[in-house]
Amino acid sequence: MNLSGFIHSLRCSLLHIECRLLQAAGLDRHLAPALAVSGHSLLPQLRPQEEQEEQPPGLMDSIMWMAAPKKRRTIEVNRTRRRAVEKLIKIKTNIEPCLECGHLKQKHVLCGFCYAKVRRETTLIRQQIQVMEGGPLKAPAVETIVLYEGETPSQQDKDKRIVEKPSKRPAWFS
Amino acid sequence: MWYLAKMIRGLSIDEAVAQLEFNDKKGAKIMKEVLLEAQEMAVKHHNVEFKSNLYVAESCSGKGRYLKRIRYHGRGMYGIMDKVYCHYFVKLVEGAPPRAEEKTSLDAAKDYVQNLRNRTIIHSL
Repeated sequence: MNLSGFIHSLRCSLLHIECRLLQAAGLDRHLAPALAVSGHSLLPQLRPQEEQEEQPPGLMDSIMWMAAPKKRRTIEVNRTRRRAVEKLIKIKTNIEPCLECGHLKQKHVLCGFCYAKVRRETTLIRQQIQVMEGGPLKAPAVETIVLYEGETPSQQDKDKRIVEKPSKRPAWFS
Repeated sequence: MWYLAKMIRGLSIDEAVAQLEFNDKKGAKIMKEVLLEAQEMAVKHHNVEFKSNLYVAESCSGKGRYLKRIRYHGRGMYGIMDKVYCHYFVKLVEGAPPRAEEKTSLDAAKDYVQNLRNRTIIHSL
C-alpha cells in the first residue's frame, strides 16, 4: 500500500538521520573494532565532544537505569491478572421497580422515566415563560404559579406571576 | 465486553436486563438490546410460554475484524491504532436459572479428611 510504504521510508530516513547524528557525536559504537586500544590520548578527545554536543537526555544514558521487563508476560499470567475477582464487574443489589411507573430505578436515584416525563412538561412551561418575558434577564422578583385550563387563582396566589397553560393539568402535578 | 458477558452468565433474563440497564459501559446498552431481541424471538418463534422463564445459559464475546488507522505522535512518529469490533453471543434457556449448590462446612471437612486418607504411595506393595 502507498501509505505504509511512505511511512516506512519516512521512518528509515529518520533512523538514518539519527544514525548520522550519533556518528558525528562519536557515541556510535557499532563500527568500533573488537580489540580497542586503551589510549589516554583518545579519552580527552571524546570528553569535550560529549560536553559540546547537546544530546537529548535519555538516548544512551537511559539504557543503564530505566526499568524494563525482563520477559514477555504469558497470556496465562495476563489472564489471571485481568480476570481476578476484584476486577470483575460487581452485581448491583440496589435496583428496584419504581412505584409510580413500574420502570426500574436505583434506590438513591430518581426514576429515569418519571424524570423525563416531568422534564417534558417543564420545558413546555419554560417555553411559555420565555414567550411571556420576551428576552433574557427579565424575570420578575415574585413567585410563579402555573394554572391550567379551568383553574382560577386562589387567595394565596394574588402576589404571584401567573403562567397560563391551555391544556389539562397532569395527574402527577399536585 | 467480556466482563459484561461474564457478569450476566447464569442470571435470569430479568436480572440480566436490570444489571445491564444500570451499567455505565457502552457495551451494556448493546447487550441489553440483544437480550430483549432474543427474548422476543424466543416467545414468537421458539414456543416459549412465559418470557420471564428464561435464563442466560451461555454468553460470550469474541474478537471481530479490526480496522487499522494511524495515530500521529510527536516528532514524526506514528503508531497503528486499532478500531475495535467484537461479536457477542448469547443463549437463553427456558426454566429457572440453575443455582450452584452450596457446600456445608461439615461436608468440606469430611472431604478434607477423606483426601488425607486417600494419600498413598503409588506402585508400592
